[in-house]
Amino acid sequence: MYLAELLAGALAIGCVYSLVALGFAMIMRATSIIHFAQGELLMLGSMSGLSTLWLLPKLPAVAVLICGMVASGILAVAMEFLVYRPLRLRRVALMNVITATVGMSILCINAARLLWGSEPLRYPELFSTSAYRIAGVPVSPQLVWIMAFGVVLMGLLQLFLKRTRTGLVMQAVAQDAEVAQLMGANLTRMMLYTFAIAGMMAGAAGVMFGSLFFSFFEMGFLLGIKGFVAATLGGLGSLAGAMLGGILFGLIETFSAVYVSSAYKDAIGMVLLIAILLFLPSGLVGLWKARG
Amino acid sequence: MESARLKRSLTGIVLLALAALPLFEPHQFVLHMLSLVAISATAALGLQLLLGFSGQLSIGQAAFYGIGAYASGLLSAKLGMPFIVAFFAAGVIAAVVSLVMVPITRLTGAALAVATLGFSILVYLVLKNEEWLTGGSFGLMGIPRASLFGYVLAKPAYAYLLCVAVAAAVYLSLLRLQRSRFGRAINAIRQNEDAARACGVKVTLLKSQCFVIAAFVAGLAGSLYAHQVRYLAPTDFTFWKSVEILIMVVIGGMGSLFGAVLGAAVVVLVPEVLREVGDYRMLIFGAILMVVMLFGEGGIAGFLEQCLRPFSKPRA
Repeated sequence: MYLAELLAGALAIGCVYSLVALGFAMIMRATSIIHFAQGELLMLGSMSGLSTLWLLPKLPAVAVLICGMVASGILAVAMEFLVYRPLRLRRVALMNVITATVGMSILCINAARLLWGSEPLRYPELFSTSAYRIAGVPVSPQLVWIMAFGVVLMGLLQLFLKRTRTGLVMQAVAQDAEVAQLMGANLTRMMLYTFAIAGMMAGAAGVMFGSLFFSFFEMGFLLGIKGFVAATLGGLGSLAGAMLGGILFGLIETFSAVYVSSAYKDAIGMVLLIAILLFLPSGLVGLWKARG
Repeated sequence: MESARLKRSLTGIVLLALAALPLFEPHQFVLHMLSLVAISATAALGLQLLLGFSGQLSIGQAAFYGIGAYASGLLSAKLGMPFIVAFFAAGVIAAVVSLVMVPITRLTGAALAVATLGFSILVYLVLKNEEWLTGGSFGLMGIPRASLFGYVLAKPAYAYLLCVAVAAAVYLSLLRLQRSRFGRAINAIRQNEDAARACGVKVTLLKSQCFVIAAFVAGLAGSLYAHQVRYLAPTDFTFWKSVEILIMVVIGGMGSLFGAVLGAAVVVLVPEVLREVGDYRMLIFGAILMVVMLFGEGGIAGFLEQCLRPFSKPRA
């Protein structure tokens, strides 16, 4: 019984990491930028979702999730349009763009502190509190819904990338921007779409995490790092790897907190990360491909 | 005047001015802040070697900075070792620990960044959780002031001169290193690793050496910090500190030692200057950071050089 609850918790938090990691991987594939403000997009999505809940307390959970996603999506587009694109147009070195994303992250954290204060903010109950019974095992509805949302969102993203014209163009741009441009892809617009989707994923993750724990102006920092680690765990720049990496990181973190040491739960993930980077430089997906 | 000579005389003038500063008896707080600039500059110089010269992106320098600080603090507070021993031991211990991480210099780009980041988080967790050794979240207290040859550097002016002297020594050593055979070899690695290897440069060895030297320098800086502030908490050595050191290098100008010092001054002093605007200060700092990135790879140092160009004749 206990194990089932633990597993559900691990998978739910894993979904949150997966969504953040997806954003990292998409931006990395399209622009090679390590987007340090990704965690802040998560935080701002979480805060926006909470604010809409304050205004309209009766809003269903799905609507809150969509509000958070839209807010983060718009913010991500604004970041790309106002900061990263001008930087790229001036052809500054990649390192400078990456540092600019750190600046963006500092800006967002402090703006959020001014707007929402520095206290952790609790989400109201988004889901019913009576436990669901799945095959006789009681599981908290929150966790079930978060997993469901996570899986649906990732499924929709895959459908979008594989089945729609825009999605395919985005994939092409990520593979080889110059060739894609020669074939008539609009690079500027595809970059905007990439950031919009990455932002929306982060926003959804923010609302999910907020409803599980709380919203806090500094929450994006650690969650961003964990998302980045998850993206690397799966293989940098691979979308399937990012999803897998997120879930795996959630599992490792939860189970090592319980069975090894809660003080060192993050450490185990990091040791594993360094080991994977050393022995499997292309991540878990690389292992899969080497076999297949 | 030739550009290289102009630079050399400028360096000399700046160093003299910094050394003469205590004569004007500035406020204690000013001296303390300038000492912190010198300490940060030392750490940033180490990262400049790693990132600016050899092209390896590390966002884990705070790990070695923290190891140096705690090593020095523990050796002098718990074992009563003299400052000079603790100081060099801090650098050596940081360098030895960095040997564990040497295999990761095989990695490049983002993978190296994540691996160093992971290591930095590991070190932070150890500093926070091993209470018997580091005092845990309560921090490490009772670190004595720095002392040289039996004289305690009790006056802020003396502590300041020590920090500036160490920063200057690291600066001048790295300047020599940059122009040596070693410096040229790592420059070749930064520009094109495969081409450098084809020319017979021992890429892996040199990259590892850069990593260890950068860790040694960060350890020295950490030791200075421990004896300057005399209280260490694990929160001083989080991932943010690594990012701060990285910002110093990029904002000042990649590949420029003088830039690393300028960047340290900007990162340490600008938030203090902005204290006037209260809550908005970090907001403005973030915005400034993004604007400076528009200057391009040269950073502030490159910008200044462009301003100075009219005054120096081009080389014949």
